[in-house]
Amino acid sequence: MRRFLRENSLSIVFLALFVAALMGQAIAGHADFNEQQVRHGDPTVTLGRYVVSSEFGVDVMENWQSEYLQFTLFILLTVWLLQRGSPESKELDKAGRESDQKQKVGAYAQQNSPRWAKVGGIRTTIYENSLLIVMGSIWLATWFAQSVAGRVQYNSDRLGHHMDPVSWLAYIGKPDFWSRTLQNWQSEFLAVGSMAILAVYLRQRGSPESKPVGAPHTSTGVEG
Amino acid sequence: MAQRFHAALAYGNGHAACDQLSEETASKLEQQEGRPCEKAILSLKIPKGGTVAVRRVEVTSAYMGLAEGSADFLDEGPDGWRISAAGCEPVAADRPYQCQLEG
Repeated sequence: MRRFLRENSLSIVFLALFVAALMGQAIAGHADFNEQQVRHGDPTVTLGRYVVSSEFGVDVMENWQSEYLQFTLFILLTVWLLQRGSPESKELDKAGRESDQKQKVGAYAQQNSPRWAKVGGIRTTIYENSLLIVMGSIWLATWFAQSVAGRVQYNSDRLGHHMDPVSWLAYIGKPDFWSRTLQNWQSEFLAVGSMAILAVYLRQRGSPESKPVGAPHTSTGVEG
Repeated sequence: MAQRFHAALAYGNGHAACDQLSEETASKLEQQEGRPCEKAILSLKIPKGGTVAVRRVEVTSAYMGLAEGSADFLDEGPDGWRISAAGCEPVAADRPYQCQLEG
């Protein structure tokens, strides 16, 4: 058990942080929502009702979709794009999908390679892109969920101001949808871009996200 | 709810019509007209009788478009659904409707 916890501590700790932060968001968001309700002379809602509301849903989904977009793009673009000196980049002569031999697929698969890496055909094609497919699918699903919850919230606000509600198609052309989307995207792109550059010159001893402390600034694709 | 409200107006039953209004809307009407809601409501140019043709509910707010051409807005409060605005007509896209009655 101890060994299991130690060997999976990264995912376990992040899962625990996620649950704690989501609960914190629900509690703080509920208190904020009810403060607004009181200010407008409207009835307050229970925490249970708040967490299934479009208000909470759109706030959660707009953050999720941007995180999954960040990783989807990072996985995809780092196949071809490089950053000299960055541990986030491949070595400068390795841009592209690389050979079967290098990727250990088909005839070059090892004894302990995943089965779908060995079999060839459509299954290997799917498997060699599976990370991108799953992360990209989660991004699209959460972005769609943001649009659905966002439209409900947007329409509730419109109805409160005696305006007619809009359809989903109309909503995804509205500034509200794009403002929520882009305010999250810009922060993700900034974080990834700055990480790629800062990791050229700065170090964190012991972290695989950093180059070894003594590695020269020019060495690319080297992780500590 | 909206159909009951318009049917009450058709029968000249101001009391029943006012029962369908939110407290804020009924109170604002009384202030504006300077007489009880059940009398003031009958003098407004709101369709007497009507059929809901478009019904859109979003959490605790709703829009009811009447086949006769105007629309009502409803809110869900502690006492259930109540009309917050009635006899509403669109003025321009993305602008609030102009209502004969609103809270």
